[in-house]
Parts: sequence; structure tokens; C-alpha cells
Amino acid sequence: MGIADRSRDFWTAGWEGRISIDDLVDAFMGGGTVYADKQLVVTRTLAPIGLRFSGEIDINNCGAVARCLSAIAADEVDVHLDISSLLFCDISGIRAFVEAAQRREKGRLMLHGLPELLQTVMRVTGWADLPNLHVCDCKGGSA
Amino acid sequence: MSSSAEHSKAEFRHEALLYVGWEEFIAGTVPFIRDGLSAGEPVLVVESAEKIEMLRLALGGDVGEVLFADMAQVGANPACIIPAWHEFVTLNAAPGRRMRGIGEPIWRERSSDELVECQRHESLLNVAFGRGEPWWLLCPYDVEKLDPAVIEEARRSHEFVAERGARQRSDSFRGFDASGAPFDVPLPEPESVASRLAFGATDLESLREVVSRQARAARLKASRAAELVIAVNEIATNSIRHGGGRGTLRIWHEPTALVCEIRDRGRFDKPLAGRQRPSNDPAAPRGLWLANHLCDLVQIRTLADGTVVRLHMNRLPTSHLRVVPDIH
Repeated sequence: MGIADRSRDFWTAGWEGRISIDDLVDAFMGGGTVYADKQLVVTRTLAPIGLRFSGEIDINNCGAVARCLSAIAADEVDVHLDISSLLFCDISGIRAFVEAAQRREKGRLMLHGLPELLQTVMRVTGWADLPNLHVCDCKGGSA
Repeated sequence: MSSSAEHSKAEFRHEALLYVGWEEFIAGTVPFIRDGLSAGEPVLVVESAEKIEMLRLALGGDVGEVLFADMAQVGANPACIIPAWHEFVTLNAAPGRRMRGIGEPIWRERSSDELVECQRHESLLNVAFGRGEPWWLLCPYDVEKLDPAVIEEARRSHEFVAERGARQRSDSFRGFDASGAPFDVPLPEPESVASRLAFGATDLESLREVVSRQARAARLKASRAAELVIAVNEIATNSIRHGGGRGTLRIWHEPTALVCEIRDRGRFDKPLAGRQRPSNDPAAPRGLWLANHLCDLVQIRTLADGTVVRLHMNRLPTSHLRVVPDIH
């Protein structure tokens, strides 16, 4: 699947699946793609502040994911990560989320739409219940 | 049966109980449990449901203080047994306190692949606990039902052997250092290979697609297929990072399982890798640990020209995910 297909699927899902004020605000207020490669698109969201991940994360792009996470926002605010369109994420990708959460002193990293498999992986590998990494039990989206 | 005076009470003691019939099993285990309880030692028994029931009856009023766990669940993948013992020992360790365990990982119905991994597990117990906390692990072996070669291997993997009412050092014990030597027992070649892929870092997406496709062909449940994909991806990532940057994936279908094999040119020299709970350090390796807890069987071989890892996912409905049980 190429990047164009992925983006189209992602946006189609976004508009048809959950048309929200947040999506409109993001679109008009400067939310946009902050990273893209052949298997992953990372989009900035502004309401709430955060990132939306669509595609696959493995050792080829986990470094880029870490850079996106470190650049996203000041420490004081909670950062919301919409990973409901993340089709695959390996341990190096989860590690990037965990390390980003551990670097934050005040604001939390909020995971939205965490797939069941990743919840299992985080539990087995000892990454459940980290103080600054909050798994939101909403069905996806960052609202 | 009297304890051997040769053994220091301040060390780990790994002992095989070679029993014939129920009576010898009971005679070898019940006094062992009672002696532990009367000395104030925590006792964990990891046995089949049938034997746990029998021990409960035989112990009568003493049973309340004994912890039990079902080996069919804890040890379905033999690589998950050491973490369970580690949990027990860590939770109960205290200055001057000894502990006792009974664990029977090998039974006649084990597949040949499982049997070899169980034997490796028995050896690795010496590496995991030798020179560590003082506890006594008794491993029953059913002499009537198991192949004589299995009993011979038990004499090599256990420092002590109890049989016919007597305990003694095993003359053929391979020693603590040799117990963790590179494991190179040959793996059987598959009859036919369904998929083969030479991979490097940029091929991981294709690798995941190949595994997915074969998992669908094997009719694995979607959640199990996804678990296999992530496990194979992690082992392949190890090849890319530590095994020379590339490797080869082969996948084949066995009557009861889908098997994915990853070969690389790396040298695997950490015998307990995947059997120790990852530390809190985010950078700590987690791939083999995850594979052991997602897959039904994981085989690792250190060969002269590289490393081989095979991941088995049973086609038939399997037990729940084997997360290390909480033992309190």
C-alpha cells in the first residue's frame, strides 16, 4: 500500500467514521503531516494537541517517531496520540512512546485507540501502568 | 529418605526424583513437602491437575500452606517455567529462609520438539538459580512411562538424583558451567517449505505480509495470527540488529502447528535470554521474552555458522496467553 492510498484510507475513515469539530479545527488551524515514509504517516492534531499515526512502525522509522514525539509540545500539557489507524507497531515503536512518556515531568502521553494486540504486548513486556503513559479506553480518535 | 549431607543448605539444589508408580511418587514428594512445611519453608508444586489433586488428598490438613500451579498451563511452553520459579523465589526470599519446589515438566505425551526444549529448560535451571537463593527443586520423572534416554538426560541435568528411597549426587551431572553451553541439538528439516524470504532491514514489511498470508492459510485465529506476526518481526529485528544485518525466513505447515524459522549469521550467547523478565530499563531487550509468551513453542539453536530460532503457533485452539502467573 503506497502512501497516497494510506492517506486516502486514513482520511476517508476520519471523515466518514467520526466527523468531529476537532478534525475541522485541525484541518483549518494548521494540523498537517509532520512525517511520512512509505509505511507511516504522522499528522499533527491541534485540538487536542497531539499526533495521529497511520500505518506501520518498526525499526526503520522508530527513530523518526521518537523525533516527532520529542518535538510535539511543552512539558506542561497532556499530549494525545491517536493510534487507532496504526496497523502495526513493534517493540521499538512502543519503546519510543514509553521513552517519550518517561521524559515528560508534568504532562502525560495519552494513547487513544490502542489496539488489543498492543495492549497485550505492553502488558507482557512490562510496559503497562507507567505513570506518564495513559491508555484511554475510548474507541479511537483523540477527542 | 534422608537428605544428603553432601549438600550445603545455603545453595540451590536441583534434584531429579526417578519414580515408578504412584506409590513411589507419593513417597518421594509428600515427605519432601511436609519436611519443608515443618521447617517453615514456602513450597510451590507445579504438577499436572491430576497429581495436584492426589497430593492434596495425601497432604490432608497440611495442604493449605502449599502453593499449587498447573504445569500444563505454566509449562505449555517450557521456556515460561523458569520465569514462574523466579517469581516464586523472588517473592519468598528472605535472609536465612530456604524454599522448596516440585516441578514435573516432562510427561510422555510431550511432542518430540517440546521434549527437547524441556530438557534444555532443565539444564538452564542450573544457570538461572545455581549460586543464587537457597532453594531445593525436586523434578519427578516417571521411569515407567518415559524413554530410558530421557532418564539418562535427567541424570546429566540434575546435580542430585533420588531413586528407590535414596538420594545421591549424580555421577553424570554435566556441571553448572556446562549447563548453559551453546545449545546445538539438531532440528529436524521440514518436509516442505511453504514460504522462504531472505530479508534485510528494508524487507520487514514484506516479511510481515508473508507471515500473515501463511497464518491465514493455516487458519489461525486472527488474534493469534497477529501475535505470530509481531513475534516473527521481533526475531527478524534481532537478526538485523545483532545477527549480521540480515537473515532468512522459512515458513512451513506441520499437522498441528505453523512454524516460522529465522536464521542469521549472529552468535547467540545468552542462554537465559527470553526467560528473564525484562528490567524496567526501556532499552532492555524484550523480543525473545515476548515471543515466548505469544507463541506455543520457541526453539533456539546456536550453530557454528549462526543462530536459528523457530516459532511454533498451534493451529488448534490453545490455552490462554501464558503470562507468568502471580504467585502469592
